[in-house]
Amino acid sequence: MFDKKVLEKDKLLQKKWKEALSARRQYKDLDLDLKTISGLPLKPIYTASDIEDIDYDNIGIAGEFPYTRGLYPLQYQATQWMNQMVHGYGLPEHTRERMDFLTKEGAQGYFGQQTFNLAFDPPSKAGFDPDSPEAKGRVGWCGVSCCKVSDMDIMFHGFPLEKTRFVLICFEPTMALLAMYIVHAERRGVPVDKLLGNTINGLYLHHTQGGVGFPPKHALKLMVEHIKYCSRNMPYWNTTNLCAYDIAESGANAFQEIGLTLCSHIGITEACMEAGLDPDEFIPRFSFQISSTMDFFETIAKYRALRRMWAKINRDRFGCKNPKSLHARYHTHTGGTSLTAQQPLNNAVRIGFEALAAVLGGTHSMATCSYDEALGIPTEEAAQLSLRTQQLVLEETNVTAVSDPLAGSYYVEHLTNKVEQEAYKLIDEMDQQGGFVKAWENGWFRSTVDNEAFKWREKINSGEETLIGVNKYVTEGEQVDVPVFEYDADVEKVAKERVQEFKQKRDNAKTEAALNGLRQTAEQVKNGEGDLMPAIIDAFRGDATMGETMGVMREVFDFGWWD
Amino acid sequence: MMGSAGKLRVLLAKSGLDYHDRGVRYIARKFRDAGMEVIYYQYLVIPEIVKIAIEEDVDVIGLSSSVGGYVENIEELRGLLEQNDMGDLPFVLGGVIAKKDFPVLREAGVGAICGPGDSADEAVDWVKNNVVISR
Repeated sequence: MFDKKVLEKDKLLQKKWKEALSARRQYKDLDLDLKTISGLPLKPIYTASDIEDIDYDNIGIAGEFPYTRGLYPLQYQATQWMNQMVHGYGLPEHTRERMDFLTKEGAQGYFGQQTFNLAFDPPSKAGFDPDSPEAKGRVGWCGVSCCKVSDMDIMFHGFPLEKTRFVLICFEPTMALLAMYIVHAERRGVPVDKLLGNTINGLYLHHTQGGVGFPPKHALKLMVEHIKYCSRNMPYWNTTNLCAYDIAESGANAFQEIGLTLCSHIGITEACMEAGLDPDEFIPRFSFQISSTMDFFETIAKYRALRRMWAKINRDRFGCKNPKSLHARYHTHTGGTSLTAQQPLNNAVRIGFEALAAVLGGTHSMATCSYDEALGIPTEEAAQLSLRTQQLVLEETNVTAVSDPLAGSYYVEHLTNKVEQEAYKLIDEMDQQGGFVKAWENGWFRSTVDNEAFKWREKINSGEETLIGVNKYVTEGEQVDVPVFEYDADVEKVAKERVQEFKQKRDNAKTEAALNGLRQTAEQVKNGEGDLMPAIIDAFRGDATMGETMGVMREVFDFGWWD
Repeated sequence: MMGSAGKLRVLLAKSGLDYHDRGVRYIARKFRDAGMEVIYYQYLVIPEIVKIAIEEDVDVIGLSSSVGGYVENIEELRGLLEQNDMGDLPFVLGGVIAKKDFPVLREAGVGAICGPGDSADEAVDWVKNNVVISR
């Protein structure tokens, strides 16, 4: 990347630097053990020699392959990242209040569009109704209770669906939740091909978290069914949001986060291709949720490395020709695990650093955590500060003026390469085990992440890694006195009554017929025939609930413990 | 059961649909490394947890909760243990537990409550000091 003269000069300067270093008595006993949080070794200074091997094409320019510097000729100069604050709690009307609050406070998506990143409560997210025994005590916690189309009617009424983006955060019941939304839209006269938004489609995520779900082969089959339906009927719907963030929150370090996520992408894409889908038909609607953590430069390097790897893998491994198949689009979630229950106001500052790193790394969307999230879900005040954190970075720091501003930094380019190399090693490791399903079934994903989580915690316990307020600068006898979100005590009772009343009043013969239809189709799909999504949509047209629909799916596709 | 003679047998479980398992898996490993026998389950309702406690003849139950519901869970657990003549089986709670709920939880018989910032070594010590091997 540099001509000989520069490199010769650099060698000379490095020699001088070393001489100056050994000349200073103060440094004599210094034991420099510098590394990233992921453990990648670092030097105290980087120079031209550290990036002399980099092919300049690998850095490139924004808008051109391999997109290290960004997907489009302009980044934030053209439009801001989307403020996709995660929200959702209690009953649908409670969540609607928070949606309206965030809108009022200026949360917005691309080009001023409205966007809502919705968390569902544990029962809804797992596919159970609020009146099921499994739901007990968890209705409306950490997400909204939503088990039927009328819940969405309450949450979404009045929003112009053709212009409003909804992210439905959900794993196993991805198709059911989307079907519910499709029926909500249909009843409002909005056709399916006009809908905007995302589903996570994370049926594979129990390879690194939880442990209960559909067995790998069936999980992949269901994901393929979802992708197939959306690719052919919903041109604006992002089918699969690859959850690097969840893998990171389960314990993965930076290069494991993107390496294991790309491994998952490879597994999903291969399954789609085996089912006869063309990668250029569905990969353009894949996107990422990626974590911004406290190692500032490693986070930026990770973002840059992943854009490049995505472009190369999809072009070289899957033969993609559509430029959109080569675009890695990111939603950032700032790191939940970096937050502490102790001295909670410190979290606001941590979130600020993480938000800045995400922007310098070129994120397209962001959910900033709130400072009180180690104690409960965000209060309105905490959610406002969290949104303001994004707005401050966007509108006051001027970091948005120039794209990929850290490109060319000896350190950042070097680290981008290192993170990329380490992530590729994980893909090789998976391939050597015989592919995604094998590496999932034999526990490789799980143990890789578990071991890293354990290592991190032990480092916190020993003080090797600093966590302020926890193992350093501790407040003796600390009494945390920030306001903590209080749930409405009646939520579970009301949600239960509503679903029971709903089941009494509907045409039960019609619902039963729809569920029988779903069961038949599901059995066929299990044997490799037919399309599943239309039957799930029919179930909701027939007034089935989330729990009933997923109940059929659980039976047919062997839901259970697959850790 | 020769191999496990003399070992404390711990049942760690997350109840209902709580999927945040990073903390409890860490604790499971710490207990194992401290020489205990650990049985770990997730996604079970309380009657299933009690059934496992009986079948596996455990010495203590550790419940982990990160998304609320723990007061209901603990009350149900205590009731079912009493019904099964296991009223003296100790049980502990860990996770995201609000301070304001501590009194009602202690009243319901929770032996120890662990949360963010508490040390895993102390949890291990608590079990060693307060739990008797019943087999």
